[in-house]
Amino acid sequence: MPEVRLEGLGKTYGKVVAVGGVDLVIRDKEYVTILGPSGCGKTTLIRMIAGIIEPSHGKVFLRGKDMRGVPIEDRGIGYVFQNIALFPNLNAAQNVAYSSRARGADKGVQEKVAREHLKLVKLLDRMAMFPDEMSGGEQQKVALARALASGSDLLLLDEPLSALDARVRVDLRYELRRLTKALGLTVVHVTHDQEEAMTVSDRIVLMRAGTIVEAGSPEELYSQPKHLFTANFIGESNFLEGWVREKVDSLTRIEIREGSTIEVLGSTLEPGDPVVISVRPEFIYPFTTGLRSKVTSSIYMGTYWRIKATTEGDDEMNFDVPITDGHLYQIGQDIYLMVNKRAAVLFPRPREGVEEAISLE
Amino acid sequence: MSYTVTDWDLIQKYVFDDPATVQLIQDAIVASFEIAAIVVVIDIITGLPMAWILVRKQFRGKQFLDTLIDMPLAVPTAALGFSAAIFWAVSKPSAEAPWFAVGEISSPFILVLLLHVIFSYPYMVRSLAAILEQIDQTYETAGQTLGASKLTAARTITLPLFRAGLVTGIILAMARSLSETGGTMIALATMANSQGFQTGPSLIGTLKSGLALNPDLAAPLAFISILLIALSLVLLVALKLVVMKVRLPAGRVWPKWEKILSRGIAPKLKDGFSGAFLIIIVLIPSFFIFAYVFTATASQGDWQTFWESLANSFIIAGVVTLVDIFLGIPLALYIARNKKGRLPQFLDVMVNIPLIVPTAALGYSLGIFWGGAPFISAIPFLLVIFAHIAFTYPLVVRNVEGAVEEVDAAYEDTARTLGARRLQTFRKVLFPMIKASVLAGAIMAFTRSLGETGATIAVAGTSVNTAPVYIVELINGEQFYMAALTCIVLIVVSFAFMLALRLVTRKRRAG
Repeated sequence: MPEVRLEGLGKTYGKVVAVGGVDLVIRDKEYVTILGPSGCGKTTLIRMIAGIIEPSHGKVFLRGKDMRGVPIEDRGIGYVFQNIALFPNLNAAQNVAYSSRARGADKGVQEKVAREHLKLVKLLDRMAMFPDEMSGGEQQKVALARALASGSDLLLLDEPLSALDARVRVDLRYELRRLTKALGLTVVHVTHDQEEAMTVSDRIVLMRAGTIVEAGSPEELYSQPKHLFTANFIGESNFLEGWVREKVDSLTRIEIREGSTIEVLGSTLEPGDPVVISVRPEFIYPFTTGLRSKVTSSIYMGTYWRIKATTEGDDEMNFDVPITDGHLYQIGQDIYLMVNKRAAVLFPRPREGVEEAISLE
Repeated sequence: MSYTVTDWDLIQKYVFDDPATVQLIQDAIVASFEIAAIVVVIDIITGLPMAWILVRKQFRGKQFLDTLIDMPLAVPTAALGFSAAIFWAVSKPSAEAPWFAVGEISSPFILVLLLHVIFSYPYMVRSLAAILEQIDQTYETAGQTLGASKLTAARTITLPLFRAGLVTGIILAMARSLSETGGTMIALATMANSQGFQTGPSLIGTLKSGLALNPDLAAPLAFISILLIALSLVLLVALKLVVMKVRLPAGRVWPKWEKILSRGIAPKLKDGFSGAFLIIIVLIPSFFIFAYVFTATASQGDWQTFWESLANSFIIAGVVTLVDIFLGIPLALYIARNKKGRLPQFLDVMVNIPLIVPTAALGYSLGIFWGGAPFISAIPFLLVIFAHIAFTYPLVVRNVEGAVEEVDAAYEDTARTLGARRLQTFRKVLFPMIKASVLAGAIMAFTRSLGETGATIAVAGTSVNTAPVYIVELINGEQFYMAALTCIVLIVVSFAFMLALRLVTRKRRAG
């Protein structure tokens, strides 16, 4: 039952607020990613959970117990570091066996633990190798085995894949999820990579500037973001600014800058309200009518063409055309764009402006 | 060296056929190495916690502690010797040690040991701190997340990583101890009864002083010099090999005990002990001399000779530093910019040798070498300059070399693609970037030359009167008050230079 509960957890350095009053519950056996741009306080947060950083205020509860004054080594956690941090003076087996050695176990037990966990990550043949003799991916797998070998059912991963090559990073994602689910662990995984967060998590907690923006399943955050920031940070979005003109039945009709209108399904906003429409590139398509635009670039992406077009109101729109449709659009060409009314999301227009609302700071 | 070959008969006659001389030399050499070994052990044990405090702890006044540790480096060893002896030892009644001095140590061995700890301690702390800074703290944190207590993590992970760098600290501290002459001679002369105790270098100093009266001493002098040089080189090579090869045993862990020692009062005791050691063993004895001049009876001394000796010291140090800079920069450039070549690597090692050879032996060896040259041998002043260049030159080369290595060669290449000539490139591009390091090296060389006793005496006896040599003479003549004043002037001057050094290096860091 390794539930993680954070109550008003915060850290300030002088006047700088790194993390400001975070409340969060992570359930048993849940895989949660803390996602956010660099400097959003996610690493500080996970370090406070581990006890590496002392909180300025608020509390950390692990398994229902207040962790104040409990040193790192007594918190019963497994931790994987961004910079891998395998002990350079020990070989793979000795690294993995370290937790049992630290508890005073004898040589036989240590060896057994090392074998068992290296087998889990399929690196039994690397037992006698020292960290600098292994590839980055292998090193991080050994580091994972080392954390698992501590026997803890709570695993904290601090940007575990950031230091690795792109290809290895993608492979290890699936490995991480598979292993931790098989072992029934509770996982807190910190990352700045939204794609990584989407692939591994049960739930994503999105942070910005020291606070939680919103939390939800990858699908929820992608298709029904509650904040403009989420719409921009997770996946890609086109933003169009306008005003609610009228509401007809379940349809909301929006007038955007150049005078054209767009229809969107459902909304609590009232006529006259300033709004921002957020639409994913996959939900914009060329049609015989719609927003009049001019193609400004057409980029070959392998499986699709990424087309950029500028509307009459000077908004930039990105959309994708499957490669199987052929190379249909040339630069300078005039086209009409339609927005899928089911997939567009409406937000009240932020007072500080769209740019500011989606900025990473 | 040539002396051993040409005059082996003399060595046979005056050394091996004379059991008393053999005994004297043997005792001195054994004492030197024993002291160096014990000093290094003490330095490591007390220096390690101090290095930890300096690197891993954040607290107010850390800058101040940092300065305190370097302070003994600013005091010339001759002055340190007197200061420490007055503080610790049962001294001669004419020395008038103040009533609040400890004045209990009657064993010359222990006194010299205490003295050598004082000036080697800062080197050890600095070396250990430099290594510790390189070791990622994440390792220890990782150890803790795996259930190890702080002590266990530090002991099983960080400590084994020290190995490579530990050699530097050991070699520096050991070489300093093996080499020290002036302070040792002065401390022994200040004692009420030094029981004829000698270290290798102090024996060289004593023999050389007697050489004018008794030419027969030349043979034992040559012999002990060569022996000291050879033994220190062998020892240092052996150290390098042994420390690098020996694998520390994996090490058992006692979770319960180490946990208890990791928290609560134990770490506080450790830090407290480190601080107390620094203050009582290192700092107070270093600066006790200031208390001394207020309590001792003032006496009129020979101020004429005093000013002369000080002038000599400054002229020598100045000339030596200039020569070091002009000859050191080209070599440093060559080594730093051709790191891959075999010759530069060889030179790199060779340059450092004078740093680890006892300066008294080095001085005597140089004296014999240049003694054959008709012009130079006639001017002892020149000989002293040559000897001082030998052991200060590496300081400049090493400093400059380090700085050049940190400057990307691309800057120089860029300047040259823009049409600058080689010399112009150096003056306008490289030199401004390494200026601070050149200055730092120069100041180190200057203060080192200013404080040197052993090499000066070994090369020219007392015919060239530098300030440290003058202090030795004053103490031998039991003019303690005058000696203390001379010490203080030397300390103040060295201190000013040390401050300048800190300012210069700090600017370098900030820039």
